[in-house]
Order: sequence, then C-alpha cells, then structure tokens
Amino acid sequence: MDFLIESIRTAFALIVSLDGEVVSAVVTSVSVSLWSILFASLAGVPVGVAIGVAEFPGKRWVITLLNTLMALPTVVIGLVIYGIVSRQGPLGGFGLLFTPEAMVIGQTVLALPIVANYTITSVQGADPRIIPTALTLGAGPFQSVRQLVAELRFGIMAAVIAGFGRVIAEVGVAMMLGGNIRGYTRTMTTAIAMETGKGEFALGLALGLILMSVALLANLFLNILQQR
Amino acid sequence: MSIIYRLRNIRKSYGQRTVLAIDDLAVRAGRLYTLTGANGSGKTTLLSILAFLTQPSSGELIYGGGPVRWNNASLLTPRREVTLLHQAPYLFNGSVAGNVAFGLRMRGIRGEEQHRRVEEALDLVGLAGFGQRRARELSGGEAQRVAMARALVLRPRVLLLDEPLANVDRQTSDLLEKLVVALPGQGTTVIMTTHDPEHPDRLGGELIHLVAGELAGPAPAAASPVKEGEYQKCRPLKKPAASFLTA
Repeated sequence: MDFLIESIRTAFALIVSLDGEVVSAVVTSVSVSLWSILFASLAGVPVGVAIGVAEFPGKRWVITLLNTLMALPTVVIGLVIYGIVSRQGPLGGFGLLFTPEAMVIGQTVLALPIVANYTITSVQGADPRIIPTALTLGAGPFQSVRQLVAELRFGIMAAVIAGFGRVIAEVGVAMMLGGNIRGYTRTMTTAIAMETGKGEFALGLALGLILMSVALLANLFLNILQQR
Repeated sequence: MSIIYRLRNIRKSYGQRTVLAIDDLAVRAGRLYTLTGANGSGKTTLLSILAFLTQPSSGELIYGGGPVRWNNASLLTPRREVTLLHQAPYLFNGSVAGNVAFGLRMRGIRGEEQHRRVEEALDLVGLAGFGQRRARELSGGEAQRVAMARALVLRPRVLLLDEPLANVDRQTSDLLEKLVVALPGQGTTVIMTTHDPEHPDRLGGELIHLVAGELAGPAPAAASPVKEGEYQKCRPLKKPAASFLTA
C-alpha cells in the first residue's frame, strides 16, 4: 500500500514539476493523435456520410468490412505499414520509418474505420425527414446532405472523439512505426509500457494519469458542445 | 384556368404492393384542392410525388406543361416552385428565424431582403418576435406555424399540405385555415390532405378522394378534359405571385 501511495505522490510531483520526459511524451502523443484524427476525419466523415446516405449494391458488405477493420489489432496495422514504409517497402525511399509521420499514417489507418463507422451509424439513425425537408425547401442534393451533416454534428463529433480516444490510447502502431525514440517518437503509451518494465512505476503512473485526463478532457469538450 | 399538374397512369408500388394507381388527374393552377381518403389510401404518397420527392414506379407526371425528368439536376427548378408541408414538420436545429430563412438561403436571398421576408412570414403566422427562439423548444402548434411560415416565405407556386391541421390547437387551426383559403386568390395552388369530413365543404375548392390508392368519385380531370396549350408554363416569377406576405 505504501508503494502505491508513494508512487502516486511521485507521479503528481513529476506532473507538477513539468518533468521533461513526461512533457515530451505528452506533446508527442497529443500532436501525433491530433494529426491522425484530422486526416482520418477528413476522409472518414465524407466516406461515412456517403455510405450512410447512398443506396448501392453491396452496401451491407462494405459496412461489414468497415466493422471488421474496426477490430483490427494495432500491431497488424503497424506490421502492414511497417512493410510499406521500411527501407525495402514501396515508400522506403522517404525514410519514414521510426518518425512521427509514420505514426500518423498508422494511426490514421487505425482511426479511419472508427470515424467512418460511427458516422454511418449516425446517418442511419438520423430523422428521415431531414433530407426531404431540405429538398422541398429548395436545397439541391449536395446542400441537403450538408444540412444532414449539420443536424448530425454531435453524432459526427462523437465519431471523431471516439477515433481520437482510440489513437491516443494505442501502443502497437506507436511502438512499431515510431520505435519509442526518446524525445522524438516516444508517446505516453509507449513510455508507460517501457518505464513500467524498467520498474519506474511512478513515471508510468504519472503518464497514465495524464492519459486519462486527456481522454476525460476530450469527452468533457464533447459534452459541453452537446449541451449548447 | 390553366393546368399545373397532369398525372397519366401514375403507379407507385413497393414490391408487389401498389399503393397508388391514378389513371388521369389534372390539377388547375391557383385552385384549392382537398385530398381525402382513409389511412393508407395513398394521400401522402401522392403529395410526395407531386412534390417531386418520390418517383412514381410508372406513368407520366406533367408539371407546368412538360414531363418531369426524375434526375436531380432537372428536379431542382420544379422543387423550388413546390413546397410540401408535413403533418409533423421537421424543424432544423437552431433559431426560428434560421428555419424560416432556410429556403431563402438556398435561393441566394440574403441580407435585408431575407430579414424582411422572414419577419413578414412570422408575423403572418402570428409569431412576430419569435425569430430568436430555439426552434426545438416550441410547442407543437408553434412548430406547425413556423413550418407554415418557412413554406410561405418562399412564395411557392404550389403548396402541398399533409394534414396540417391534425395536431394543432383550435387557434392555430383557425389561423392556418384562414391562410390556406386565401392562397389560391394570390395565385398559389394548394392541395391539402385532411381527415376532417367538414374540411372540403368549409374550405371550398375541389375534392380529390382516394380509395385504396385510386381516385374515387368524380375526379377533377374527368370532369374537365385538358386542351393543348392550357398548361401553365413554369418560369421564375417576376413579382411574387402571392401578395399575402404584405397583406
């Protein structure tokens, strides 16, 4: 019990003193995750809306495929992207392996099906009167879909937050594509795994607390928006 | 009086079930029609087809003298002349004024003119001063009035009303009735579905009665064959067809 209390005390001291190691991991984690979720949203939201609105043969199969991709283990994504960006891979010439850029690519792939799937769910659960109402008031097809997105903005925001939650908490992609390089590609999750392995429980705990706080802040932000 | 809609052998089916089968129906411009029939008789489907929101399975719909082409590019113009008001209207998230201004924004009408027309429309339905209220916080009757203002502000050539008086209080019902009856005099064609057996007599105009998706009784088209050249050409109105907004 003393060990836990002492670790928590040390963890708070590390956070309050803005320990360099902690700050670096937090900044890397947040920035890589924000870029990843930005790219995943730019692709995933339009894809989700298009699939949700359109009727086409094989729609069910596409949704099933996206559902399956949601369950992809992060290490599998890491493995595939590793094969692409490593020196022997098709993008090997860009020297992306073990860089934050490689992590962004991997985490974008990880978040995209999550954002797209939650967006599809949101569109399919939307009030069926939205598009006909917009059309009968003179909106064109694109304008009516834009209105649908505006009406579903909280659902779509939830999709983005869910994707963000997934990427900031993952270890596999960050470890395999970032390489856990101190001060460069070390994220909160890779640092927690490593420091705990080394017996630096307090540092791991400090990062864990910050990680939970970031997730909490993201959800608080969503809640505040929903209440407006 | 010219013909604005002509339906020829219109059928709408879902799978094996035919929900609408109209052999011939003509709708004259600037008239009031009450559309009656039991639940499931095809009233809402007919309105949806007339609003160009539902494509018939077969048959020909002529609007303003020309056959309707069921593709998005061709439908934009007729859709901007015809407005459908649902029984349970959907109000967009945001303010009352934002809702009423929606159709104007879609037509590129902004600024002072938009503001003036929105104010006039709200005044007309007895909701002056409601512009900044949140649309989702209105009562059922108020929401129905906002939806009516949102339709009237567009000065539509045709106004289709799906049981607009079904779920509103007496005061709202009287107000909406008064507005509906005045519209044909301003050049707007009105087709209104109703379950109230007194409405056709009280509102006047012509009656279209549907039984199991088919016209029953003397249909307006059968009583008055349409001659070539009798169609009303659809072109943008130079002036508002309806002066009801400034009345």
